[in-house]
Order: sequence, then C-alpha cells, then structure tokens
Amino acid sequence: MSSQDVENRTWVSGTPRLWVRHPAGCRQCPGCHHPIIERLIADVVGDLKVEDDTVFITGVGCSTRAFTVMDFDGISTAHGRAPDVGTAIKRTLHGRPVVITIQGDGDCIAIGAGSLLAAVGRAERITVFMANNGNFGTTGGQMAPTTLTGQVTTTTPQGRNDSTGFPMHVPELLATLKGCAYSARGSVHTPANYQRTKKLMKTAVQKQLDDVGFSFVEILSACPPDWRITPVESLRWIEEQMIPEFPLGEFKNVECIN
Amino acid sequence: MPKGEISIDERFCKGCSLCSHFCTRGCITIPGDRFTPQGYLLPVFSSPEKCNACGICGWLCPHFAIEVYKLTEKEPAAK
Repeated sequence: MSSQDVENRTWVSGTPRLWVRHPAGCRQCPGCHHPIIERLIADVVGDLKVEDDTVFITGVGCSTRAFTVMDFDGISTAHGRAPDVGTAIKRTLHGRPVVITIQGDGDCIAIGAGSLLAAVGRAERITVFMANNGNFGTTGGQMAPTTLTGQVTTTTPQGRNDSTGFPMHVPELLATLKGCAYSARGSVHTPANYQRTKKLMKTAVQKQLDDVGFSFVEILSACPPDWRITPVESLRWIEEQMIPEFPLGEFKNVECIN
Repeated sequence: MPKGEISIDERFCKGCSLCSHFCTRGCITIPGDRFTPQGYLLPVFSSPEKCNACGICGWLCPHFAIEVYKLTEKEPAAK
C-alpha cells in the first residue's frame, strides 16, 4: 500500500488525551492492570470535560505511579489518607473541584479503612476508585484484606485459610451505608468488561457532579509478578478465581441519599 | 487495502503479550527473536491486511505502547 492511497488516518485508541509521556515509559510491571485503570480515568475525565476542575489524589502503592503521567492536577498523600485530603480539598474550595482518588486495595481498605468509612459516613461528594489485586503488590505480594481463601502469598505460603481470615467485599460493605450514593465493581480483563467498567466509572463521577453523595468503584486488577504467573494466565485467574468471589456489577445506585 | 494500522513503540513495550492475546484477527504476533531495548520480547504487527482497527489492543495495552489508527481510502474521483 502506498501512502498516497490513504486519505484519512484517524486515531482510534491508544494514549489518552490527558496523558503526559514519561521519558522512562510506564513504570508498572509487565501485564499490570493499573495503567489500564488510569487510562479509563483519563478517558472518563476527558469525556465529561471536567479536566480543568479535577484533582486526583493517590495514596501509597502502585497507584502512586499515576502521579507523574496524568495531565491534570494531583496530590500524593500519606498511606491510606486520600479520602481525608479529598475531603479537605472539596470542602475548602466550596465543592467546586471534582475529587477523584486512585487507590489500591492495601491503601484503601487495609490502612485507609477508617478514612474511607469516615468519608462515606460524612457523605462526602468524592469518588474513590480502588484497584483490587488481592495482595500488597508494591511490597512484594503480602496478604491483604482482599486476598482470596486459599490464595498463596508471601505471608500465607500454605494459602489463606480460616486462621488468616476471609476476603473483604468493599462495594457490598459501602452499599449498606447511607452516605454512599453509588458503589460498583468492574474488571478490565476482557474488552467487553473494559467498556462496562468505563460506564460504571463515568456514572460514579457523574454522581459527584450531580452532588448526590459518595461514589465508589472497585476494579479487579491483575498482579502477574506477585501471583507468580504470566500476564495471559492472570486474565484466566481473574475469570476463574476472582469473579466467583467478587461478583461484578452495581450494588447501589440511588438518585438521593435521604 | 488494510482498514487499520497500529504502531508499537518499542521503547515503552514490556512484552506482556496481552496485545497478541486480545487481537481477535491474529494481526499481532510475537516472533520470539526480536527484543525491546529493555530486553522484553517484542510483538510485531505481522498481518496488516487483516486489521480492522477495532482498537482493542490500544485499549488494553498496559504500557501505552500501541496507537491504533483507522485508514479510509481516497475517493476514486480524487485519484
């Protein structure tokens, strides 16, 4: 094919508009789903055209690496305290900014569980996106609150069992609280689930724009190096092991929290 | 003529092979004898004529190495 035959060369997909190329490239491990989730966040913020008002907040963990590359304002906070800083920004600026937090499961529900539940209890108008990969990925794959029963991690070499507890279901937990307006769980392990999760995330940010209440989306995420499997096997692992334990879908979607 | 075109930036690719797994038409393959500057196995856009610019590899590349473009032909009168 010669280039003269081509009239239009339209961009379809790839690097989102709100993305800055880091000279060293993306810092995550091969097959990690965190950058896909960050691509979805950049797409959702770009589609809703709120990038000038958006502040994204990261805690500590693999989600912090979003900080250097996303082309809108962000703050990196202490471990687990992203909802608190989001509350401060939202309230001191009289509700004008769109506050999004990007957190992992260790950041959000292990060390930051108090902050998260307190933010839901106050019905803060912020949106929390939590990537759930079933372990503490940054520090080498220790057991996290979302580790599945029987899952082998660095600190549960025989598999998680009765003596080490059971996985926490965060969207179902938050759906029982009155301050929560929206809670859902998505996944990005297939193209269809990618598009479904994008809709869930857009609805969650829209709840904040409509001033309804707290919104939360959990996204199942692969961590191939810490699960000790290849990236393609990790997709199958999400399908066969994680989704039966963590069902996908919306758990709460209300128009008014009263 | 092909309907789509992708570009793979080998500086950013980390060889996770999700693109070749998700490509339903088998356009992207990993030959195994080519490597990125970081030492990972490099995927190759081996069958451009089969690509229909669905964009799935561009969505699901975790390291922002793939850009997908849709190609449209010139009108016959304009040739």
